[in-house]
Amino acid sequence: MIRNAKRRAALIAIAGAAILGLGLSGCASGGDDSGDSEGRTLRVWAGSQTPIEANFNPFSPSVLHAALGPIYEPLFFYNKTADDAPAPMLGESFEYNADGTVITVTLKDGVKWSDGEDFTAADAAFTFNYEPNHRDGLISAEAPDDTTLVLTYEAPQFTNEFQILGTTWMLPEHIWSEVDDYTTYTDEEPVGTGPYVVDKVTDASYTVVANENFRDEGVPAIKKVQYIGIDANQSAQDLLTAGELDWTGMFVPNPDSVTSNGVISMLNTPQDPTVLYTCANAELGCTGPQTDVAVRQALNVAIDRGTIKEKAFVGLTGDISPTFALLPRDQKWVADPANEVSPQSPDAAAAARILEAAGYTKGGDGFYAKDGTPIELSLISVDGWTDYNDAAKLISEQAAEAGIKVNASTVQWQEFSDARQTGQYQLIMGGVIGTSVADPFQIYKDWFAGESTSQVGEEVPSGRWNFSRYDNPIVNEAVAAAAATNDEAVKQKAYAALQTEIVRDLPYIPLVINATQTFFNTKDFTGWPTEDDLYAFPPAWGSVAAGYVLQHLEPVK
Amino acid sequence: MRFYARRIAFYVVTLWATISLNFLLPRLLPGDPADILLAKMQRAGGEINETTVRNIKTLLGGDSSSMWDQYVAYWGRMLQGDLGISITKYPAPVTDLIAAALPWTVILVGLATVISFVLGVGIGAWVGWRRGTWVDHLVPFTTVLQSIPYFWLALVLVAIFSVALGWFPIFGGYDVWEFPEGPEWSWAFIGSAVYHGFLPALTIVLSSVGGWLLGMRNMMVSTVSEDYIVTAEAKGLKPARILRTYATRNAAIPSIAGFGISLGFVVAGSIVMEQVFTYPGIGKLMIQSVQNSDYALMQGVFLVITIAVLAANFIMDIVYGFIDPRARHNV
Repeated sequence: MIRNAKRRAALIAIAGAAILGLGLSGCASGGDDSGDSEGRTLRVWAGSQTPIEANFNPFSPSVLHAALGPIYEPLFFYNKTADDAPAPMLGESFEYNADGTVITVTLKDGVKWSDGEDFTAADAAFTFNYEPNHRDGLISAEAPDDTTLVLTYEAPQFTNEFQILGTTWMLPEHIWSEVDDYTTYTDEEPVGTGPYVVDKVTDASYTVVANENFRDEGVPAIKKVQYIGIDANQSAQDLLTAGELDWTGMFVPNPDSVTSNGVISMLNTPQDPTVLYTCANAELGCTGPQTDVAVRQALNVAIDRGTIKEKAFVGLTGDISPTFALLPRDQKWVADPANEVSPQSPDAAAAARILEAAGYTKGGDGFYAKDGTPIELSLISVDGWTDYNDAAKLISEQAAEAGIKVNASTVQWQEFSDARQTGQYQLIMGGVIGTSVADPFQIYKDWFAGESTSQVGEEVPSGRWNFSRYDNPIVNEAVAAAAATNDEAVKQKAYAALQTEIVRDLPYIPLVINATQTFFNTKDFTGWPTEDDLYAFPPAWGSVAAGYVLQHLEPVK
Repeated sequence: MRFYARRIAFYVVTLWATISLNFLLPRLLPGDPADILLAKMQRAGGEINETTVRNIKTLLGGDSSSMWDQYVAYWGRMLQGDLGISITKYPAPVTDLIAAALPWTVILVGLATVISFVLGVGIGAWVGWRRGTWVDHLVPFTTVLQSIPYFWLALVLVAIFSVALGWFPIFGGYDVWEFPEGPEWSWAFIGSAVYHGFLPALTIVLSSVGGWLLGMRNMMVSTVSEDYIVTAEAKGLKPARILRTYATRNAAIPSIAGFGISLGFVVAGSIVMEQVFTYPGIGKLMIQSVQNSDYALMQGVFLVITIAVLAANFIMDIVYGFIDPRARHNV
């Protein structure tokens, strides 16, 4: 018995040693593969959750990031961080006819698909006619010769230019005309015009390698890019710190801890507004004190944006303009210089004046009320979005100082999504999608125009975001006027009228511009966008822009 | 024989009920997958234009047929082994996702559970045998480890051993830099997998060993006062023999029953561990499916877990019927 036990113990010890040995050998071989930086693989956070499934179909919601920009390309590149003219990608130049219904695009000559076939205007015309790309109002997409594309629409397309020329991915007709059902197609071996082609996809990562047929000589200089699936932000941050990851776009509250290794640099490009959605329009069924414009105005001046920026967003956000123009990019569209920036410090006295003028009186408990009904607002934010949760708590405290009672609570995602879709809420801490070109038009149309909303209880129209139920004839008219023109002066006049309305009515109370942090390895790779040369939106997940940045990168010799 | 027939009938009914609940529960959740996906893309700052929205609605639009028709179709598909298409990983079949994740979970969580059980019962037996001496301090120590929030323990271990000391990898089931081609049959790969699994397994063992240890120690203390132990001592048997063949064997019976059940739960994986370590297992599929209202994936994962737990229970029932005649007569 005892001898048996001894033998067993010895066996276990040997097994243990074997496992340990294996572990150590794994350790030894797992270390560095960066012998020479010349041929070094660029390692990017894929942004997708593991397991990774091969899917390069640009119409699929689960498309892998490398498909959008590095593999498939639109005709032109629009830099959303600056007021630049669109840069040629597959298109060389384009022009409108007088009323904006016909766009004639001249394509680059001699471009090839990654399988060696020629890219021609016929492919582009096929792409615009392809069912999922087919826009309402497209009359025809034609290719009179190999380098000319003519798009004809029913209505002026000035304001849709970015969507048409900057986000429509060009598809090879000889492949996509064979696709039976684009909704289930996974496109595992995509053929595009971009600088990369797919090499290998696994559960944990996927690799793309340089496209030998790419139109520009010597581009891309980085021959291999590996996208890694990482689920926890903390892991990604740890990998960056350890120098095992070269490019991410993620929120890190203490960026110094990542950049202090001398390898990784950080670039912050605030882009998307964060606001309080208010269900503002009683006529469409909104209920609660926030339907009174005086309450929204009082709240607007009572909020301490400076404190919210420092405490909830660790000082990384940008200052917002109540006109929703992104400054300094959209400077030319701000009609009244007084509306450049929302107040950064609170003014309880001003809030009191606004409320008292509107007939509210302060009760014994320190809160304002009208006709015996106190102002009491509920403010929800999505549970787990800690920056928003903290900001909501701060707003609740700041509003109380000004005599407005705001009860902040957190809800599950589904509840938040339901509430904003159907308008059954009072205040929501939420985001607004920033515009991808130097013009706030898309926000005005999608978030403020009456056509973009619906009765409370019904969902807002698909692809529109007017959750506040705001519907103002002056705004609607201005949006229509701006859509029909390419004349800057006419547009500025329309925006001036619109801005007066929204700055006064505050259907969304502006708070801050959300930070967008990008971390990249500047020791082994050069050519990244910088503060001084912000030639593209820098995060690794930036659609189109990521492919554009990759074309500019070079290994450090 | 009646005992077995009744047990089997019971399990068949349970299986039917759980699978039906499995169908029903996700449909009672609020939220539309398309909206959730759009809200998530918006939060991430992605491009969302009308084309994207229309395509997502087309793909993920709700099933408008009646609940009963959906239920019948659900059973029909399931009997053919078709668990549907995942929305989060559209259009990957749920069976593929589960098949890829299951081995990782079963091996890692399974091994960790076995190690934790063996250690807990072994040390528990020893501590119970030596009750009243200094070794009793092991009990509060391990229970404290168990009561520390698991994710915190995992993050602390990562911060110390992976980030600060660099002894262990930070994430993943294997070295993705070294094996960009994915899993392969080689010693180098197995070594990498073992190396990557070590820290996750350690966190599971640390946080669960206390329970086994405490239970075993208490059983041991009450067993040692039994008459047959006194008899054995009176006979003059060696203490080591009494400890092993008399006390431990009898004291371990409840722990073994518990072990059978916890093996069933191995399949559920360890959600937090898999999230912290980006470990390719089932727990992560589950959390992703719930976050994204991905009904098909949710049902697939729950089904696999349900079947594993029921199977473990069933086997324990049968085994108990064999080893303990009382169990057969009392039912």
